[in-house]
Amino acid sequence: MPHYSVDEPVYALATPFAPSAIAVIRASGDGVLSLLSPLFSGRLEKARTNTAVHGFISDRTGRRIDEVVVIKYEKGHGYTSEEAFEIMCHGSLPVIRSISLALESVGIREAEKGEFTYRAFMHGRMDLTEAEAVEEIVRSRSGQASSDALSRLTGSIRNEADAIRSSLLDILASLEVQLDYGEDEIPEEWVFPHEEIERIITRLELIASTYASSRLYSSGAAVVLAGRTNAGKSSLYNAILKENRAIVSDIEGTTRDYIEAECVIGGVPVRLFDTAGLRDTDESVEKEGINRTRKLMDEADLVVYVLDGAEAVPDNVGDALLVRSKRDITGESGDLSFSSVTGEGLGAVLEAIAARLTEGRASGDVPRIDSERQRNCLMEAASALRDAEASVSSGEDVVAMYLQAALSSLSALTGEVTADDVLDRLFSSFCLGK
Amino acid sequence: MSMSEYDAIVIGGGHAGIEASLALSREGFETLLVTQSPDTIGRMSCNPSIGGLAKGNLVREIDALGGEMGKLIDASMIQMRILNRRRGPAVQAPRAQADKFSYSRLAKETVESEPHLHVFMDTVTDIFPENGRAAGIVTERGWKITARTVVLTTGTFMDGRIFIGEYDAPAGRLGEGAAIGLGDSLRARGFHTGRMKTGTPARVRKSSLDFEKMERQDGDDPMESFSFMTDTVSRPSLPCWITYTNEETHRIIRENIGRSPLYGGKIVGKGPRYCPSIEDKVVRFPDRERHQIFVEPEGEGTEEMYLNGLSSSLPEDVQRAFIHSVPGLEHAEVIRPAYAVEYDYLDPLDLFPTLESKLMPGLFIAGQTNGTSGYEEAAAQGIIAGINAAQLLKGEPPVILSRSEAYIGVLIDDLVTKGTKEPYRMFTSRAEHRLLLRHDSADRRLTPLAIQIGLAGKDREERLQRKENEIKEISAILKSRRSGGKNCYEKLREPEVSIDSLGLEELSSYSPAVLSTAELDIKYAGYLEREARDIERSRKNENMAIPQDFDYDGVDGISSESKEKLKAIRPLSIGQAMRISGVRVSDIAVLSVAVRSRERG
Repeated sequence: MPHYSVDEPVYALATPFAPSAIAVIRASGDGVLSLLSPLFSGRLEKARTNTAVHGFISDRTGRRIDEVVVIKYEKGHGYTSEEAFEIMCHGSLPVIRSISLALESVGIREAEKGEFTYRAFMHGRMDLTEAEAVEEIVRSRSGQASSDALSRLTGSIRNEADAIRSSLLDILASLEVQLDYGEDEIPEEWVFPHEEIERIITRLELIASTYASSRLYSSGAAVVLAGRTNAGKSSLYNAILKENRAIVSDIEGTTRDYIEAECVIGGVPVRLFDTAGLRDTDESVEKEGINRTRKLMDEADLVVYVLDGAEAVPDNVGDALLVRSKRDITGESGDLSFSSVTGEGLGAVLEAIAARLTEGRASGDVPRIDSERQRNCLMEAASALRDAEASVSSGEDVVAMYLQAALSSLSALTGEVTADDVLDRLFSSFCLGK
Repeated sequence: MSMSEYDAIVIGGGHAGIEASLALSREGFETLLVTQSPDTIGRMSCNPSIGGLAKGNLVREIDALGGEMGKLIDASMIQMRILNRRRGPAVQAPRAQADKFSYSRLAKETVESEPHLHVFMDTVTDIFPENGRAAGIVTERGWKITARTVVLTTGTFMDGRIFIGEYDAPAGRLGEGAAIGLGDSLRARGFHTGRMKTGTPARVRKSSLDFEKMERQDGDDPMESFSFMTDTVSRPSLPCWITYTNEETHRIIRENIGRSPLYGGKIVGKGPRYCPSIEDKVVRFPDRERHQIFVEPEGEGTEEMYLNGLSSSLPEDVQRAFIHSVPGLEHAEVIRPAYAVEYDYLDPLDLFPTLESKLMPGLFIAGQTNGTSGYEEAAAQGIIAGINAAQLLKGEPPVILSRSEAYIGVLIDDLVTKGTKEPYRMFTSRAEHRLLLRHDSADRRLTPLAIQIGLAGKDREERLQRKENEIKEISAILKSRRSGGKNCYEKLREPEVSIDSLGLEELSSYSPAVLSTAELDIKYAGYLEREARDIERSRKNENMAIPQDFDYDGVDGISSESKEKLKAIRPLSIGQAMRISGVRVSDIAVLSVAVRSRERG
């Protein structure tokens, strides 16, 4: 976060940029309160810190924008520990836009993503892991992701990482004792513990793999509805969204480009795409639409391939979820089917989508991680352990180097592993010294 | 009474004091070595050996810097082994048994032969400052001697007290009086002192032992040298002997454990976990059926044998009983009893990485006084203290070896950054990059520095140059020859191939030592590059200097706990700050931002 600054006045919308009852805009930095005062009718300077002041907010020309409540934070009190305020306004998009413009007009710039958290961190309000978790909470878009972020604060990943660290420390200490005491004192040969190292590698990779599913919960899964033209994709799309946002028509090729909507399926936030029907065509606009569909399918977390009633399954659908439409006309078959007219089978389709999105997702006893950084250090540790295995014939000093590298990769999760940790383990496990 | 001013005063003639005083005097500074007894210069208080894992590397590093320890052991060894031959070259090291009487005599003669080095017998009772800087010493017999810099190396003598069961007496070694008064003076001047404990086993008469009941352990033939200046070692090679304790030994110890001053609470100082007394081993590892004992000669002509593994502070009657329970020692005649010694050490956190005191500039402190144990650890600090005292006298920047450059760098950085709660011993696992710190490469790592500061003579400089050239030649020969479808250089990278197995005639003119160094460089090239990348990553932090007047209180993002530690230790760089235990990563992030923004003004 090198380009972030501290103390410079910044603002950010703390609630989603969407119509809602109330929106919160907060600002932080040296002098933000006096910068706000020409825009606000309330008596901010007389208010005590952490208290709310009611008033009207206006633009620089004095035109009223909204009736709001402002909470005042003096230096050392708010989230960032800087001088700060929070404006609670009505959650209409024009109001939010106008207030933002007004703040910019008095010299408060829009914050970079995560800059508030960065400032809180820089002013000692939280440590790095906490800062990351807070960022995740802010970004998370469903209850599930929120609870993941909270459990990280309480340290479920830390417990797991500590257990792995402890196993690795035991292994390293049993090797180090041989390297630090001569063969006359410790005559036994050291044997590489292949089984245990394999077990640890598997565990590391399992935890690392939870990042992908965690990401679905935090940033949403891309689900693409695909199929031949007129197969019933848009009907399914609408049925899922329960609103008529896609054009539905029985003329082939109506949906030439894709449209997108956000919804929640089985607790997973989903970006749902309705796409151009797949067929051979010479029409250039439609061709472009089909190309885009193919690209979207490649990038999707899940492709739902909609088959037109009794249509035969095409060859190239890959691992797409197959669903049959028009169940009210063709009747029930062995396959997953639904009717957008009667609503029959829709629940089963939704369940199948949710199941496919979360399959492979680790079961309850594997703590999930939710940052790229954590995933990287787990994968680095696993790879260092594989290097250790591969270097057995090169010498025990090299094996020790890779075991140490694995431990130091984990340190991003567990805190630093120092030479003293290794020696402590060594002295407590072995009777040493002539 | 007062003496004319010296450039430097070195207090103590042990392994640290020898290296410090030689470094200073060899750079031309008039140096006074004050010792309680000139007869005990270079005495080996405990085990009759030099080197060992990590410690052997230290000796070769001291030698590469122009120090004396390597030469002294080369001329006094009575057995030599390279340890860990089959466990990887980075963790191999030389160890030699010494004739401790020859070692000490040679050390004394070496010190006496330096024209600028003056030995004086007295006990120092105070070090006094002038204008805040160390200015001289006061002695027991009333001398006041001034100097521009002082190096303190008191070992176990500062308020030393020895314990043998119920008996205790002020002493630094058995039979040698403690240095009384200096500890109190330094405490009064604000120095932080603590107590540490160490111990040594009994010495027994050789002709009273039954070697038939022991395993014989011989040294390597030929004997390799420690010093890069020694070509061949021609010394006698004597065997050591191995025997074991048994249930009876352990029973005797358990039944008398209450008479140990350690368990009875008389000794408060912390002893080393890696070198426990026999009673410690029996108590802490009750399941062990036996413990190994090495019976080692103290010298070539002497009858005294050292019972390595049986250090103890139990009463003498108990000692005799458990010694006599060991096979081969049934009739052992005890010449000197085992004893524990407790002494004052000075908190090394009060030192800069130059070994200069933060409390009294101009005073350097080295050796066991700083909470270490071992002749090699002491000598390593001694030479650095001497070098930096000389740098100070010359007005040149101090020498600080990095952790990736030398075990000496690891040793001193650990001491001054983390402090120590028990006598600190060097282990290879303390070094993050031990593959880079092989003993055979110490000269390549450190001699260029010795040349620069003036501690390496022409001969040493030429030897290094020759070695570097030969390594290049060997590498060129390997690249020009083929074996098994690839050139020999590539072939040598395969784990099972050795430079000997290639059978190249052109290489026969090179010494085994230089061939081995060239071979290891090639075999480990990939790993060495990996280590180098690692070091490169941390270089930014190591190079980011923290000004000594930096105001930690002015940075509000640093936790108060970390702030206290940073203020006490005053790290010289962000890299050093990161290694202070208990300082949080987030505090370091904030600190580096604050330091950087101060730099920018």
